[in-house]
Amino acid sequence: MKYSELQCTSNYSFLRGASHPEELIEQAAAYGYRAIGITDRNSVAGIVRAHLAARTLGIQFIPACRLDLQDGPGLLVYPTNVSGYAQLSGLLTAGNLRAEKGKCLLYQADVFNQLRDVKLIIVPPVVLNGLFEFEESFEKQSATYHDIFGNRLYIAASRRYLGDDAKQLFRLSQLSSSLGIPMVATNDVHYHEPARRPLQDILTCIREKCTIQNAGFRLHQNAERYLKSADEMKRLFHQYPEAIRNTQEIAEACQFNLDMLKYEYPEEITTEGRTTQEELTMLVWKGAHERFGDHITEKTKNAILHELKFIREMNYAAYFLTVYDIVRYAREQKILCQGRGSAANSTICYCLGITSVDPSKFDLLFERFISSARNEPPDIDVDFEHERREEVIQYIYQKYGRDRAAIVATVTQERQRGSIRDVGKAMGLSIDTIQRISSSVWEFTEEWFEGKRLTEQGLNPDDKLLRKTLQITQQLMGFPRQLGQHTGGFVITRGKLSDLCPVMNARMEDRTCIEWNKDDIDAIGFLKIDVLALGMLTCIRKAFDLAKQHYGLDLTLANIPQDDPLVYDMICHADTIGVFQIESRAQQSMLPRLKPRSFYDLVIEVAIVRPGPIQGDMVHPYLRRRNGEEKVEYPSKELEEILGRTLGVPLFQEQAMKIAIVAAGFSPSEADELRRSMATFKAQGMVTKFEKKLINGMMERGYEREYAQRVFKQLEGFGSYGFPESHAASFALLVYVSSWIKYYYPDVFACALLNSMPMGFYQPAQIVIDARKHGVEVCPVDVNHSDWDNTLEEKSGSFHILRLGFRQAKGIRAEDMQLLVSARIKMYSNIIEMREAGLSQSVLEKLADADAFNSMGLDRRMALWEISTGNDHPAGLFAGKIPGPSAEENISLPLMRKSEHVVHDYAAMSLSLKAHPVQFVREKLEQLHILRTDDLKKHRNGDLVKVAGLVLVRQRPGTAAGICFITIEDETGCANLVVFENLFDQYRKEILQSRLLMVEGKLQVEGEVIHVIVQRCFNMSGLLRRLMEVINDELPILTLARADETSIPAHAQEDVFHKGRNFR
Amino acid sequence: MAKRFVSIWFRHLKTDWFSIRQPVLREIPFVLSVSDHGRMVITAVNEGALNKGIEPGMVVADARAIFPSLEVLDDDPLLSEKLLKAIAEWCIRYTNIVAMDPPDGIIMDVTGAAHLWGGEKKYIDDIHLRLKNRGYDVRVTIADSIGAAWAIAHYGGSTTIIESGKQMEALLSLPPSALRLEVNVTDRLHKLGLNQIRNFISMPRTALRRRFGKELILKLDQALGNEDEPLNPVQSVEPWRERLPCLEPIVTATGIEIALQRLLDTLCYRMQQEGMGIRKAVFTGFRADGKLEKIEIGTHRASLNAEHLHKLFEDKISTIEPGPGIEIFMIEALKAEKISTYQEKLWDTICGLEDPGLSELMDRLANRFDNCPIKRFLPSEHYLPEKSFKESVSLDETSSTPWLTGRPRPIQILSRPELIEVTAPIPDYPPMLFRYLGKLHKIKKADGPERIEQEWWIRDGPLRDYYTVEDEEGQRYWLFRSGHYKENEKPKWFIHGFFA
Repeated sequence: MKYSELQCTSNYSFLRGASHPEELIEQAAAYGYRAIGITDRNSVAGIVRAHLAARTLGIQFIPACRLDLQDGPGLLVYPTNVSGYAQLSGLLTAGNLRAEKGKCLLYQADVFNQLRDVKLIIVPPVVLNGLFEFEESFEKQSATYHDIFGNRLYIAASRRYLGDDAKQLFRLSQLSSSLGIPMVATNDVHYHEPARRPLQDILTCIREKCTIQNAGFRLHQNAERYLKSADEMKRLFHQYPEAIRNTQEIAEACQFNLDMLKYEYPEEITTEGRTTQEELTMLVWKGAHERFGDHITEKTKNAILHELKFIREMNYAAYFLTVYDIVRYAREQKILCQGRGSAANSTICYCLGITSVDPSKFDLLFERFISSARNEPPDIDVDFEHERREEVIQYIYQKYGRDRAAIVATVTQERQRGSIRDVGKAMGLSIDTIQRISSSVWEFTEEWFEGKRLTEQGLNPDDKLLRKTLQITQQLMGFPRQLGQHTGGFVITRGKLSDLCPVMNARMEDRTCIEWNKDDIDAIGFLKIDVLALGMLTCIRKAFDLAKQHYGLDLTLANIPQDDPLVYDMICHADTIGVFQIESRAQQSMLPRLKPRSFYDLVIEVAIVRPGPIQGDMVHPYLRRRNGEEKVEYPSKELEEILGRTLGVPLFQEQAMKIAIVAAGFSPSEADELRRSMATFKAQGMVTKFEKKLINGMMERGYEREYAQRVFKQLEGFGSYGFPESHAASFALLVYVSSWIKYYYPDVFACALLNSMPMGFYQPAQIVIDARKHGVEVCPVDVNHSDWDNTLEEKSGSFHILRLGFRQAKGIRAEDMQLLVSARIKMYSNIIEMREAGLSQSVLEKLADADAFNSMGLDRRMALWEISTGNDHPAGLFAGKIPGPSAEENISLPLMRKSEHVVHDYAAMSLSLKAHPVQFVREKLEQLHILRTDDLKKHRNGDLVKVAGLVLVRQRPGTAAGICFITIEDETGCANLVVFENLFDQYRKEILQSRLLMVEGKLQVEGEVIHVIVQRCFNMSGLLRRLMEVINDELPILTLARADETSIPAHAQEDVFHKGRNFR
Repeated sequence: MAKRFVSIWFRHLKTDWFSIRQPVLREIPFVLSVSDHGRMVITAVNEGALNKGIEPGMVVADARAIFPSLEVLDDDPLLSEKLLKAIAEWCIRYTNIVAMDPPDGIIMDVTGAAHLWGGEKKYIDDIHLRLKNRGYDVRVTIADSIGAAWAIAHYGGSTTIIESGKQMEALLSLPPSALRLEVNVTDRLHKLGLNQIRNFISMPRTALRRRFGKELILKLDQALGNEDEPLNPVQSVEPWRERLPCLEPIVTATGIEIALQRLLDTLCYRMQQEGMGIRKAVFTGFRADGKLEKIEIGTHRASLNAEHLHKLFEDKISTIEPGPGIEIFMIEALKAEKISTYQEKLWDTICGLEDPGLSELMDRLANRFDNCPIKRFLPSEHYLPEKSFKESVSLDETSSTPWLTGRPRPIQILSRPELIEVTAPIPDYPPMLFRYLGKLHKIKKADGPERIEQEWWIRDGPLRDYYTVEDEEGQRYWLFRSGHYKENEKPKWFIHGFFA
């Protein structure tokens, strides 16, 4: 007699189950179970994982669910066939959609109406009443269930070791025989082994928001809810053998498994009665003629034919048409979009307008995009303008309907800091202690879990509570915590989506998503389209619009002149503030070394400054080889084919994977599995297994151990951060396009960039400074000239004048400014007119703060004085009249110095056109022999220099061994500082607190790249206070004994300067 | 005579207090913080932390980034009020009218008080010195108006006397915030370049009022002493204490009883007015030879029943040794609680725990025996039987947890489970016989097991399987086996309780 466990709560019943579905399956297989069912609460989010684990281990997995009903005893549901599964999924969908995100409301009526092809088990109450009987209502409802479901219904019997097991079972058997509902044994499993009890208790505490000390009866009193062996279950139920037998009856009746789900592509994507393949063929050739003109080269023609043939064989035409339809819609709405990722390998995608990189030019291979070997559906990711992506999303919902299209879920996992916080709180540790523990961790290592890092934080690693906290944290990490929505992955089906997977509400309005994440749907073979958002596309579209408006140009991603040497010159000089991808500090210092001269160089540039290649130590070898300082050689002939274009150094994800295949004997799917295992949560065992396999495999094939280890290290980095080549190519196109605009139309570029903020690396101040440096005249915000957005005005010199918009000023809302602009029939000549336009006191004050009244002849101080009279403006007869001179006219306000203006500009807009703040303290700096950043060029490598500026960015990348990179800015430009770890610790305070930072250090000059290797740091923010200093004509009457640091108001003034962005 | 006011500003009120209690803190930078939306926000810093650049309002994590070994202590939002109240009461020694000036100051009306100390200089020096010796960093200023004294104390730099009528000059160079204005008003003044009071003090009042509101004018006038400012002085609290001096030393028990009676009557009457009752009281006799005689009583519930309290003392009067005679008697309520007064009714329907008779009985028993043999238990949310109840402290104590009634629990539980010898089939079936106190019990009926695990967060240990068993004589026992059966180890069995 066999036993199958049919009631398992996995950790996809969030904060209830304490084992992964995989762990339950593995344990069941180890016990030799023939079948196991997982019954999470009102959810099937974990069944795909369980299904995959079961398929590998060769054990029958029954996808099931526990329904918690609002008006009756709970039910365990087991579909017996595909339609049973569809009924269950539909039921859950209905329950999900009528509740807010994360909840599911179900009633008996739903169950009675919808479930046919299923087996069901009633879940009886855990306790008997005072007469040792079940409540009457339970018996009644069980009878009702039986009337509806007849012989499909069973009742669960469990032994929980609560002291009255025998009584319970006896009552159950009475009930069972009186109602004719057979008893079935379950163990109400919550974890796969008893050792998980502490974790389960902690989950209960997190759920109930209490600590373990006061959780009391909310915990289970023993650890019996683990997966027990069949023999043990048989012993526990030796008086009721039929209960054991019935588990088999159900398991045998439920032959449905997830492989039986058939995904079908949507069909309303063809016209004029064509088949999908015909439609695709027609569109591709039409597109090809548009792209290439009438003369399509033989090579391209062959590529298209080859791809079409492949698509027909794999029956993927519908997929391409679906993506095409979305892209077509975006085009019609003038929403800029571009395919990214491996789709760039496809000529067809280029012809259909999905991608903009001509693949024939770059020798990309279609087989990398989709291959029959991998037998996975193609995966096309398309980026849209970030401000308008929602329109595309709503189009998809509208075209296919909410019952057929939904967003993929993402499973939010318990991460390092989150789990330590949750566990620590539940363990009753003080918030302070929790913070100390979590700050003792940079990366979770065995060492950390053993508590070795805690002593540094002044905690006692031998403390038992602390040790337990760490142990449980380790177990909790990687647990699913909730279902979120994927950034834009869409699933679209032909029939009802809810037949395949339950649909639920997302937190955002007007969004629905499914319960499975992208790995799940990959495994089941669903089509997925990623509708992603990219800020740079918004910027580029806005730039195209401006170029059309002011220069009469009709630009598209595809028609920008290619390979312009002047543009590359600019890139080589790292003049790339605001440019997509290559604007960061790291990229900027790479550009003059790599000196990109062609499109493919840009592809490499994009891919090389990534944690993958950096951690794998691939950057310097590549640079040396490129500059001819090192011989280009290959460890073997086979690797030459793979690494030829990157001079023997693996830089792209595909290359690393290919090496695993060619040089270490991995199968393609193994290589993919390897990449995946590192991309998602790192399962320590798996990684070690692959490491061994890779290194041994390579050594067997005659590679050196050291080389093999380096390849592995790089693979590790690629897992989460690497770029595939095709993806880099798509990005490189945007790099080129944005560089081209910046080079030829810096006015257009700056304006579009500012209007797309927030995005990118730099603050508006730097964008404006950069634009002026390139000869663009920038005019300040003004009530009579500005719009909400930044605008271009008439030409002055080579470019149009950039007029700053109200969006640059803090605290001003777009609606108010629409009012201002629409009432501006003629120029405003006084504040009363503006008040009459309906602008409130506070809006006017904000505009005064932004110094926007200059066209009225008022500076910010005078304007504020005028405005501050409040609401006593003339009414009735005198409406619109300017009040006559009053006694006040004699009042004179202190004149505002330029430095004060600049401080106020920064306070209101984070930028100033009047001057750079550092300029005002230059004299002081010169006395201290502090250089201008611009002067650094005049010095030689190794010189000792002093330089000071406002801190723009501090970066401590994980890849750089504790080194901190700082960028500072003065009135002449920027300087790049490098602070090594020991110095960082020493000058931590100065580095983190300074707005105006002065450093002393050694100059490191490498061609155009100049760094200051910092030796000492000084916080000179105090100087900034002088900009606002009160100048007294009279001597103060009181001698101030000591400046009172906490109460001088000017102190706050240095805060108006951006405190610098911190990056990890 | 011109009015004179003192303003005391505690620069680091809360952190100073922490340093006073833990002198080690004086040497190291530390901050106080509270949790705000999951972030730890700094609310107060000491001088050391301030010098490191750490300020109130920062997040602890940011401060730690600057100074990793920063000591962070929990702030108590009520602390500053408590401290100010205590200090204000202490300050009554200087003048009758002392007011708290939250969050970190004291204001005193000292008109006509300073000459007792030999002039204003000595007066404020004394205040300064005494507070400094207690560990507080303070600024003390004396001036004609509250506003001026406050302004100079906070912004004037050091301890100062502003001579009568000179407040205008003293204020001129101070920033507008010295006038205790709202932040948005001071912001606007600064934006207009009016960075010092001198910049706007002589502007037409109408112009100022239109732009900055009445408040500015009022605050200005208050500072200049043209407008009165109300103070809300603290009252000193008197202890619950009554004294009875005797004409002649008392030596007899009757005399003592009469004294006790009178004192109790007065104290109870006084406390009744305030709605307070006695939980603990001490009766002291001051003997002619300077020795003290004390007797103490306690109650289970706040009481004002003089007769009852008298009885409690009565039992102990015999322990008083009057010696040469007692000159003064004193009674003091050491612990007082709010008393719930209920209306007297024709038919007293109060019963059970509410019945005052019960608590009075308990009081009498407790006073008679050192270790009160009567205990009251309340349920406690633990599965482990020995932890599932706790002794209550007072009769009014209630538990939010109900008694766990769903499981069989014996009427009597042993305070410590006792080891027994048992014969039982494995692995977890009920025992067949056991030997307890030398007697062999054959088990006829049994139920179980109920499995209870240890509270792993407190200690690890074997689980327990509890069985309810009935022997041949119909006696029922609660037994448990500690731990699972193992191959080569015999598990221990215990008896833990008896059913009725």
